This record gives sequence, structure tokens and C-alpha cells, in this order.
Amino acid sequence: MSEMIRLSIFRFDPERDDKPFMQSYEVPVTKRGMKLLDALNYIKWELDGTLTYRRSCGEGVCGSDGLNINGVNGLACITPVTGLKQPVHVRPLPGMHVIRDLVVDMDHFFDQYRQIQPWMQTDTPTPEHERLQSPEERALLDGQYECILCACCTTSCPSWWWNGDRFLGPAVLLQANRWIVDSRDEATGRRLDQLEDAFRLYRCHQIMNCMEACPKELNPTAAIDSIKRKLLARKS
Amino acid sequence: MKLTKEPGSARSGIGDWYWQRLSAVVLAVLLPLPFLLIVAVYSGSVDQLGLLDLLDHFFSRLLHTLLILALIVHAYMGLKVIFEDYVPVIGWRVTLIGGMLVVMSGFGIWWLAIIWAWGG
Repeated sequence: MSEMIRLSIFRFDPERDDKPFMQSYEVPVTKRGMKLLDALNYIKWELDGTLTYRRSCGEGVCGSDGLNINGVNGLACITPVTGLKQPVHVRPLPGMHVIRDLVVDMDHFFDQYRQIQPWMQTDTPTPEHERLQSPEERALLDGQYECILCACCTTSCPSWWWNGDRFLGPAVLLQANRWIVDSRDEATGRRLDQLEDAFRLYRCHQIMNCMEACPKELNPTAAIDSIKRKLLARKS
Repeated sequence: MKLTKEPGSARSGIGDWYWQRLSAVVLAVLLPLPFLLIVAVYSGSVDQLGLLDLLDHFFSRLLHTLLILALIVHAYMGLKVIFEDYVPVIGWRVTLIGGMLVVMSGFGIWWLAIIWAWGG
């Protein structure tokens, strides 16, 4: 008989349930290096077809399956089940409205992403060829552009739980910094103007949950600090 | 939590951030001094008259004033952030921050009056 893992999964169907509850499942370890997403797939395909969750690429690139796993946010597709304390408590990302089971409403998160205008803005005429960048200038984007917008960091941030209507959160601020440090972008001043706000930016209290939660091992706290330094530099 | 309209930036926040850190630097330099003075008194290095002379000196009063101002600014900024974080109702938030400003200003004025012996 194969090894079994026990899971306790958040269930809530607003059309049927009055309130959420945790449901227990037992899943066999079907392969070496089995990931949490494999266990969820097993439940959905073999045990309980009503379990609802998001997934897509299954290899930590699309950022669809961000979940709260044993109290820590992470991607189910790259989290090995071995080593997780059992029963494995799987909940939706904190601080977000639950649509059903493990699926949360990401609209507000992406609204906030749109607010920072995440595209290259230029004032100078478009050159005949591409806008060039030196290797050193390109290196500034490392640790910024890799964000997959899974929202694991933002939904682990207490400041975002408290003031998420106005505080942009770590993922969006990391993306804001990605455009601020891009040597080809010419809207740095406007971008900094848009961020200079007691709530939008300065709600970050360096709690650093974002850094712990990021499945791509990025450091949004450092990015936020970089924005603050740029604001200070232009003021001083 | 969904926004219907994008509120834009209030162009504020850097002042609070800057003053909180500036006051922290002043506190880090000046706050150990009263404790050093207490150690000096308890170890017998400074007697009562010596202590009064030290406190009465213009330079000491100036440092004392700086210390109390930095302490008030730092405490105000820190508590303001806590109220902004935990009090979601704007009316309560503004009332509490305003009340805190009045209490802290009163405390500061009272303390400065003691330092500079206003009124005799």
C-alpha cells in the first residue's frame, strides 16, 4: 500500500453553504517529488469533482495556483508534499474575497496593477531600431521583471490586509519599481508622483512577509525601499 | 475592497517618513545621555549639586529640548501610523490623531516650561 498524505481543505460554495468549512481528504503519494497541485488534482479527478481551484502551467510560471499552505502563501505546483506538516491545511489566499473553495477574486489586485501603468512610456521619438540598453542597465531589471503576479506576497502583507483599498501592496510596487529602474522608460517622474502617497506606498512597514512568501524568491521590500530612496533623493 | 474610481496620489507621506527617521537618529544619539547621567549619579561620580549644575547649563537645556521634541515627533509619527493602520473609520481616525496631537503638544509645552523654568 502506498504512503498516504492527509489534507484539510477550505471549502465554500456561496450558493450552497452558509459558511466555510474544512474538509479532510487522504491522497496516495503517486510519484516521487509529488507536488501539492498533484494532490489537489487527485482529489478533483478521483475523489471529489466539486473541489474548485485555479491551475494552468503546473510549473511555477503562470502564478494561477497561489494558495495558503499550512499558513504560508505559496504555489501549489512547486510545493512538494513531502516535508509538509500533516494534515496539510490548504486555504485560499488571505485577505481576498472567496468566489468558491480555493478560488479568490483577483479583480482588485489587477486593478491596482493597472494603476501603476505597467508598460514602457516614452516622450522621445521612437528610434529607427530598438531602444538600446547597456548590460549594466539591463542588470538593474534582474529581481524585478521575474514577478509572475501570483499575489502570494501581496496577500501575505498585513498592511495590505488593513489598507488594501489604498496600499498598492508588494507585488504592484515591485512592478512599479521595475519600470522606474528601466533605463528606457522616460516617465520616472510621473511614476514617482503617482506613488508619493502615505497610503499607496508608505504603508509598507518592512514586515517582510512578502519576501518570505514569494515563490520566485524576489524581494519586494527592497524594491519598495528603492522607490522610497528615489523619492527622498528628489526631495533632498 | 474593489475601487470604483482610481483615487490618485495625495502627494504626501515622504514628510512623515523623513521626520520619523530623522527623529529616530536624534533619539539614538540623545536618549542614552539621561541614562548615562543616572549611572553617573548612582555610581557616585556626580553628586546632587554637580547634577543640578549639569542640568542647569544652557547646553544641557538645549540638548534636553532637542530630546523632548524628537521624542514627541517620533511618538506622534509612530502612533499616527498605528491609528491609520487599525482605525478604518475616517472620522475616528482624524479625531484620535487630532486628540493625540493636542495631548502631546500640551505635554511638550509643559516639559519645555520645566526645562527652561518659565514663570520663575
